[in-house]
Amino acid sequence: MQSIKPLFIVLAVAVLCGGAHSYGGHAAPRTHRPVADHAVFAPLSERAVVGREIFFDARLSSSGKLSCASCHSAADAYGPPNALSVQLGGRTLHTAGLRAVPSLRYTLARTPIWAHPRPTSLAERIAEKDDVPAGGFAWDGRFDTLHEQAAFPLLAASEMASSKELVVQKIEHGPYAGRFREAFGQDSFANTDKTFAFALLALERFELEDPSFHPYSSKYDRYLDGKAALTAQEQRGLALFNDGDRGNCASCHLSARGADGSHPLFTDFQFEAIGVPRNRTIPADRDGKFYDMGLCGPIRTNQPDPSYCGMFKTPTLRNVATRQVFFHNGRFHTLKEALRFYVERDTNPAEWYPRGHDKGGEPFDDLPAGLRSNVDKITPPFSGDKNKRPVWNDGEIDDVIAFLKTLSDDDQALNHR
Amino acid sequence: MSEQLMTRNPYLSVCAAIALMLVNGLTACSSSNPAAPVVEPSPVTGLVKHVFVIVLENKSFSTTFGATSPVPYLTQTLASQGAQLSGYYGTGHVSLDNYVSMISGQAGTPQTISDCQTYADFTASSSTPATNGQILGSGCVYPSSVLTLADQMTAANLTWKGYMGDMGNDPARESATCGHPTLNTVDHTQVAEAPSTTVPLGDMYATRHNPFMYFHSIIDSADCGSHVVNMEQNLANDLKSVSTTANLTFITPNLCDDGHDSPCANGAAGGYTSMNAFLTKWIPIITSSPAYQADGLLIINFDESNYVTTVSGSTVTITFPGTFCCGETLGPNLAPYPQTQSAGGYNLVYGNYGGDQTGAILLSPFIKPGTVSTVPYNHYSMLKTVENIFKLPLLGNAQTSGLVQLGADVFTNVP
Repeated sequence: MQSIKPLFIVLAVAVLCGGAHSYGGHAAPRTHRPVADHAVFAPLSERAVVGREIFFDARLSSSGKLSCASCHSAADAYGPPNALSVQLGGRTLHTAGLRAVPSLRYTLARTPIWAHPRPTSLAERIAEKDDVPAGGFAWDGRFDTLHEQAAFPLLAASEMASSKELVVQKIEHGPYAGRFREAFGQDSFANTDKTFAFALLALERFELEDPSFHPYSSKYDRYLDGKAALTAQEQRGLALFNDGDRGNCASCHLSARGADGSHPLFTDFQFEAIGVPRNRTIPADRDGKFYDMGLCGPIRTNQPDPSYCGMFKTPTLRNVATRQVFFHNGRFHTLKEALRFYVERDTNPAEWYPRGHDKGGEPFDDLPAGLRSNVDKITPPFSGDKNKRPVWNDGEIDDVIAFLKTLSDDDQALNHR
Repeated sequence: MSEQLMTRNPYLSVCAAIALMLVNGLTACSSSNPAAPVVEPSPVTGLVKHVFVIVLENKSFSTTFGATSPVPYLTQTLASQGAQLSGYYGTGHVSLDNYVSMISGQAGTPQTISDCQTYADFTASSSTPATNGQILGSGCVYPSSVLTLADQMTAANLTWKGYMGDMGNDPARESATCGHPTLNTVDHTQVAEAPSTTVPLGDMYATRHNPFMYFHSIIDSADCGSHVVNMEQNLANDLKSVSTTANLTFITPNLCDDGHDSPCANGAAGGYTSMNAFLTKWIPIITSSPAYQADGLLIINFDESNYVTTVSGSTVTITFPGTFCCGETLGPNLAPYPQTQSAGGYNLVYGNYGGDQTGAILLSPFIKPGTVSTVPYNHYSMLKTVENIFKLPLLGNAQTSGLVQLGADVFTNVP
């Protein structure tokens, strides 16, 4: 675990096992809706069974009302259950997080450790652009393993705001203490630090083993298997999604089968700075001097390279059509708005950014002025040119949305009808 | 051809000569880059029966072999056991065109000199090859009419294998045998993959360092999967006996072990440090193998040399001099040099079409320890040498007029 500066504990992000309360003040979990059917899959390991108990256990939070599942709702593809940009947590459920809640489906077992392999040849870095950081858990990739990551939201002041002692006490005196002992040994409560570490391992096993994290039940999966046909509009959307000269979505959100026939995850886990506008509904962003710059900090503290500022990890697009909050700061709340931002960011910046001195939009306002050159202005759909036309028109955006809806798993399609 | 060959090499039997004529005839008939007949044997023709090639990445002779060499196992330990070829050159920049030249004699295309970011099929612009069997056109994956050293080995009933570091570690990324992207799609092996729960070792295989994947004659063949395999899972076992050691063993370490990356996706240091560690581990395994000890030749080279960086005011210029040797000429598919491009605030200058001086190390029972040669050689010289060792026709630019193969200056322990 990396140490987090006190200031930013308050601003802590709601990620993975992060519990948080909604702005509306109602902490009770939503009615449980159908998730993937477990019956046909192999049984979970003892540790994973314990991890499932922990994942849904609100007693572990200081409020007693938040569990991992409060934010990573099982009924919502382990993503946020509402449209809030960031969730509320803490002892009184009034502390706002800093980032939107990502979905936990599909990516966990395949997320590489954070790395930035670089060719020794500067020429190759420049000419071939194979010089990209990737991997790690959370939007800034600061955790290499799920069990490392799991500690953060349990303890973060803006999330479950718990302590090792409280977590261990609640488990030891709770309904699944016996299972915990079976999984980790009869003396597994002898040492608080070890017990807490066991709890994190249990969460990791649950998230890796439980088939509800990777059901592969979307229409697109059936299409890849030859068991479903895309409509004409979905096919147009897929073509636009894959077109490297226009939308170019598939260059980061990989859409093709793997070499072994495996179905795509719709992310390459790489970091990218796309210049999402500042979200002034987030309390931390109301401070004009504060910037969440992702990979370079301030939450992440071990990669201060200025060229990393503004970079966030590419999320999966599976089940994106059932989300109500988009990008790391939850700036957008509809898929159409998010796609319009992509294609109109450079052609009509005034639509997306505050007016600057020239009365036009002041692009990339969620980065300090001196770091805005980090934002990608070359890779399509970005053009860096106001005089060009957006790569998609309104009808084409609708086509892409139609395609993205095919990435919704069956339970999501049912839950979000 | 056979007359000269037999005159110079008393070991060549009549039967072998007949077989050679048959092989030459077969390969010539099936290729659009007909191979030239053998005109000169290598000093070790008939002696060397197992050739091992290890290709390292992107290092200049002056740094590698400098007074404070960062890869001492190569430049001190191994150099003292074999031959140092100070005058060894790459044939181009950047990586892929060099690898292609090593096994086919084909010069670069606009795509291969940019490492084929898209694994694009080759489009021929003429059905008639240019001088030295150079096929005309553009793209990456040559048509089946363009033959390689591997095809020649197969046709001559000789065995070959490509051992590729990390290939298939992530089976979703590429197959563990004959691993390459789908034709005409983006090559996702351009960037190394770090370890994950599903792929605990990560995957630092790079298709662009596996030359066999750029020829339809190989990737379309039914036995590609038995020829091009994962190195870590197969090499040590295959080296245990002569019968399981191929006549040609071509080894490409992963992007970390070959010195390409630094740091590496798996957290290793990369560069010369990882290169030195790789060689320290694997060279003794190779040189202790029965096949090597009986009649082996191990070639350790670099694909290309490095660049020179100059700063003028706020302008940073990266220059590959592009020095060439050995009669290398501009490939017919390439634009004239110098070539320049600007990207990311840098000027990239390719002064000429050569690959610059890298140096190489050779080990063999037929080389006296401590041999040093300053004779200029390049990848085409290596191809010509290997073809002559195995009595194969010369492919592509291995036919270049005046091209010198590795000679008595290198093979200093020939009985």
